[in-house]
Amino acid sequence: MNKTTPALRKIAKRLILFEWPSVASSASAAASEDPVIERLRPRLRRLMGHGGTRALLARALIMASSEAPWLSAAFVTANGDLEGFERLKSEIAPTTFLEGRVIFLAQLLGLLVTFIGPTLTSGLVGEIWPHIALKERDFGTEQ
Amino acid sequence: MKKPNETAGSRRPERRRTGPDKVKIRLLSTGVRGFDEILGGGLPEFSFNLIGGAPGSGKTTLVHQFAFANATPERPALYFTVLGEPVIKMLRYQQQFSFFDEAKVGTAVRFINLSDLVLEQKLDAVLEEIIAQVTATNAGVVVLDSFRTLVRKVAIVLGELEVQAFIHRLAQFLSGSEVTAFLVGEYVEEEVRDDPLFTMVDGIFWLSQVTERNSVVRKLQVMKLRGQPSVPGLHTVSITGDGLQAFSRTLGLDTTPAKSSHRKRLSVGVPELDAMLGGGILEGDSVLVAGPSGTGKSALATQFIAEGLRHGEPGIMAIFEERPPSYTQRADGFGLKLGAAEKHGTLEVLYLRPLDLSVDETMQAILDAIQRVGAKRLVIDSLVGFEMALAPGFRTDFRESLYRMIGALTGAGITILSTVEVEDNFTSLQFSHYAISFLTDDIIRLRYVEIDGQLRKAMVIIKMRGGNHSKDIREYVITETGVTVIPPRHTDYSKLSTGIPRRSGPRRAQEDESPPEPKATVLGA
Repeated sequence: MNKTTPALRKIAKRLILFEWPSVASSASAAASEDPVIERLRPRLRRLMGHGGTRALLARALIMASSEAPWLSAAFVTANGDLEGFERLKSEIAPTTFLEGRVIFLAQLLGLLVTFIGPTLTSGLVGEIWPHIALKERDFGTEQ
Repeated sequence: MKKPNETAGSRRPERRRTGPDKVKIRLLSTGVRGFDEILGGGLPEFSFNLIGGAPGSGKTTLVHQFAFANATPERPALYFTVLGEPVIKMLRYQQQFSFFDEAKVGTAVRFINLSDLVLEQKLDAVLEEIIAQVTATNAGVVVLDSFRTLVRKVAIVLGELEVQAFIHRLAQFLSGSEVTAFLVGEYVEEEVRDDPLFTMVDGIFWLSQVTERNSVVRKLQVMKLRGQPSVPGLHTVSITGDGLQAFSRTLGLDTTPAKSSHRKRLSVGVPELDAMLGGGILEGDSVLVAGPSGTGKSALATQFIAEGLRHGEPGIMAIFEERPPSYTQRADGFGLKLGAAEKHGTLEVLYLRPLDLSVDETMQAILDAIQRVGAKRLVIDSLVGFEMALAPGFRTDFRESLYRMIGALTGAGITILSTVEVEDNFTSLQFSHYAISFLTDDIIRLRYVEIDGQLRKAMVIIKMRGGNHSKDIREYVITETGVTVIPPRHTDYSKLSTGIPRRSGPRRAQEDESPPEPKATVLGA
C-alpha cells in the first residue's frame, strides 16, 4: 500500500522546501495553499482531467493517513481542493506538519510512479521544476 | 524484389514524383511496419484522417506509433483525449510498446485531456483549447481520441447542427494549420454512409477483429485515401511488443516474373536425381516434393539445402512439423553439417508453429529470414504443417498468399523446395491435397511400392517446366547419407505408380540380385 520510498520522500521534501520554505514556520502562508500541489495540479488535470486529479489526491491522502493518522482530518473537496490543513497546522508541531506534507506528496509521486512509471513521473516533475536537479533513478520503486 | 524486411518507421519520408506544375505532397512514414506500403509510400502530410474500428482493434496504438515516429520538439504531436481512455492510462499501457519513447513525452509528444470541457458541454471552449494549443506549440500532428464519443455526447445536448458546425470549424482550422490530423473513434461501418464526417476527411483507416472458431483475426483496410493509390483490400494486422504491424496483401513484393533466360541448374544433392531432372533444378524454380509419411521428403529437403550451402548458397528452412534440434540432428546423421552453417549465418532454420499465426505473418518471417541471410534456397517443410499452423480464419487465404510469395521469390531467383504429405491409396497417384501444382514448376513424387514382398520406395519426376526430364520411375533408399537413388533393377513390372506393380511378362531367368534393403528374417523359419 505504501507507495513512498526514502528517495521519493527526499524529492518531496526538496520540492516542498523549494516552493514553500516557510512551511515549517508559524509565519507561513495559509496551509491549504500548498504551492507544490498547485503547480502540479494543472499538469495532473491535463493528464487525468479534474475528476482523475481529485481521485489521485484523495488516494494519496488516504495512503498518507495510514502513516500520519492526523492527516485523516484533511480531505479533498469536490473541486479538488485540499481542505483541513489550515486547522491542522495550528494544532500540530511545525516539524510534524512538514513531515506530514512530505509523506502526502511522496505518496502522490509514488502513485504517479505506479501508474506511469519512474521515467514519465521524473519527466513530469522535471518539466515543472527544471531547475531542481533530480535523478530519474530516485523515482524508482525500490524500497 | 523489394526488401521484404524494410521497416517503414526507419525510412526517410519520400517525395512523390509529380509534374512540374503539381503540388508536391510529402509522404510521412507511419511508424507502422508494412502500413506505408499499403498506403502507397506513406501518409500524405497535412492530411485529415479518421481511424475507425471497434474497441481493442488497435486504433490508439496505431496513432501513437504515428505520433512518436513523426513528432519533434519543434513540430510536436498533440494528443487530445476526450471522454475515452484517460491520458494517464494511455501512458501506462502505451509505454509498454517499444516505439514509445519516454524522452519525447511532454516535449515532442504532448497529451492534453479535454474531458472536463466536454463534460461542461463547452464545444466552443473545446475548439478554442485545440486552436490555442496547436497555435502555441506549432504542432505538426494532432490527434483527437475518441472523437466519436465527443460528437455523440455533444450531439445529444446541443444538437446535430451544432456538432456539424464544430467539425467543420475544426477541419478548417486543422487544414489551414499545416498539421497532419487524426480523429480516432469507435465507429461502426454503417456510419460511413450517413455521417458527413466521412466525406470531409482525406483518409479513412479501418481496423477490425473477427473471431473465427478459437482465433482472432485482425484486419486493416484503407477505405479512403485522397490523392494516391493504396493497396486495396483487407490486410492482416498483428499487435506485438513493437506495436501494430501491418502485412500488405502483396507482402510488399513485386510479383512480376523476372526469371533470367540463362538459369543455371542446381544440384539437389542426389546425383541420380539431378540426372533425372536433366542436370538439376533450374535456379528460381519452385519444386514440390510430394509423398506419404516416411518417404524421405524432409531428408531430400535437407540434402537440397546442404548442397546449396556446399556451393556457397545460403538457405532458409521453414519447418512446421519438427523442432529445429531434431531436424538438424537428422541432418548431422546424414553427414550434413547444418549446425555449422547456422553458426556462420548462412542458414536459418525457422520453426513456425505457434497457433493463430496469420499466413502473412508467417510469410513475413520467412521473407525477413531470406533477407537476413541472403538466401538462394528456401525449403518449406511442409505445406500441410504450414497450413495447420495458421489460425482457421487464415487458412482460406493460404493458397492465395502462398502463390504471391512463391511467385515473388522465384521471380527474384530464389529456388524453393516445398514438401507436401499425400496418402498413397494404391489406386492412383496423387500429387497433393491442394490444387497447388500451378504454384510449382517441378513436381517430384515419392511413393511406396510393393515389390517382392517388400514395401519399397520409388520416385518419379511428374513435371518440369523448364525442360525435359526422365520419365523413369526409380527406386530409392534412405541410407546414412540420405536419399539415394539405386540403379535400375532387372525386374519387369508395370503399374508401379499404383503402388501394387504387376509383373509384365513371364518371369525371366536373371542373375541373383539382392534386394536393395535386406528382407526381414522370420524367426524359426
